[in-house]
Amino acid sequence: MDQRELMTLQNYLQEYGQQAEIFVQQLQMLENGRLEAHAAIEALEEMLTAEDGTVLLQIGGGASVRAKVIEPEKVLIAIGSEVVVERPNKEAVDFLKERIMEMEASQKKVAETLDRLRAQMNEINKRIESGYQQAMASGQMPG
Amino acid sequence: MFGGLREKLRAARDRLGSSIQAAAVKAEPAEKATVDLPALPVIAPAGSAAPVLSSPTFVDKVRVLITERELIVSEKDVNEALSELEMTLLESDVALPATDAIIDSVEKNLVGRHRKIGESVDTLVVHALKTALLDVLGKGFDLKDYIAKHDRPVKILFTGVNGTGKTTTVAKIGAYLKKEGFTVVIGAGDTYRAGAIEQIGVHAERLGIRIIQHKEGADPSAVLFDAVQYAQSHKIDVVLADTAGRFHNKANLMSQLEKIKRVMKPDLVVYVDEAVAGNDAVTRAAEFDRTVGADAVVLTKADMDSRGGAAISIAHTIGKPLMFLGTGQAYDDIIPFEPEKVVDELLDGGA
Repeated sequence: MDQRELMTLQNYLQEYGQQAEIFVQQLQMLENGRLEAHAAIEALEEMLTAEDGTVLLQIGGGASVRAKVIEPEKVLIAIGSEVVVERPNKEAVDFLKERIMEMEASQKKVAETLDRLRAQMNEINKRIESGYQQAMASGQMPG
Repeated sequence: MFGGLREKLRAARDRLGSSIQAAAVKAEPAEKATVDLPALPVIAPAGSAAPVLSSPTFVDKVRVLITERELIVSEKDVNEALSELEMTLLESDVALPATDAIIDSVEKNLVGRHRKIGESVDTLVVHALKTALLDVLGKGFDLKDYIAKHDRPVKILFTGVNGTGKTTTVAKIGAYLKKEGFTVVIGAGDTYRAGAIEQIGVHAERLGIRIIQHKEGADPSAVLFDAVQYAQSHKIDVVLADTAGRFHNKANLMSQLEKIKRVMKPDLVVYVDEAVAGNDAVTRAAEFDRTVGADAVVLTKADMDSRGGAAISIAHTIGKPLMFLGTGQAYDDIIPFEPEKVVDELLDGGA
């Protein structure tokens, strides 16, 4: 394997690495969305059973206040396309559960692609390593 | 691709169908009652002012129910199912204007329609949905046809935000055009992102496509100007100009894009974004179109998008056609956007 070939493999590796990074970011975004939806479901369900409708409302920075939800049965929920609709609590929970399923399906697809990319990267790595070993054995270190 | 939307449309189609079917069943007793009415004139005598004929709705109903044995689909029959369809589309991230257009079209196509008894309700519904979807999807953009009809080299400039797969798209379109028998040169105009020149270089080498590149940090206008010069002197059919990803609110990068446009005078400006971004992709495309202009759109990662909202709404919302859908990692994982095919797939090839 000559120096040029090694350089090309390094470039492939770099390119795959960049692609993998984007997929990892996407996976993280999906995971955040999934956890957020789970938290919302928990809050919506708790709201119905909370004594006289009082809940802890997080206002950021780790601070919370006690708040009374006037209509725990009615939930305003963003359904997509920047459209917010009012739905009964139960329906909003169902909607969020459906979204979680969608996100999990997307996560699976992204993870599969990422696995494929990593397998290709491993393959390239092996070839680079054997290229270096060959060069070392012949007394030529690629620069 | 768009599996979630397909499932939801299937449910909406069934819901619309059963609403119409239920209305038809309800109308049956009315038919029997109407048959007993004595001597109702079916055709009005010319110039007649008889009171019974002054009510065209009634006459129409009688004609439809008795003479031709048809049923009229009324607004009431489909209202609820249409609201459900509206929610389904919004939940699939189809933009509000596109959703409105689809609902209006389906309603227009169904309400007032004389459905012959024996005609499949599903055929009626699928036809209405298909017409509505085709209306919002537009005609697509046939790149081969465009190149064939324009002076060579055809210069195509690719723009879009960071990390959506623009460089890979340039390579895929290069591979597609090469396969279709066109000669291609790629201009490595993303001189901003570290490793971008190497990335497109690797693609070009793999595909056997000539690439024009300068050093990192060079003026992209100069690179792309050179690419056009090369294409002109070597009688190359198409110049594919890669550029740095940028956000529309970054003034310096946007003015750089303006300069690129002035220097290389592209025939087509193609906006690239990812289908999975949903409505965000539509908003960004509209913003890019307003600031630098766009002639067509490519959506990447369509294989990972179950909702299909961006693909459905982008052409209608920004008024520019969708050219390709990216559907995977390999070079041939790009498909020309053909509205008929997409709609048939979404509606399970129905009717």
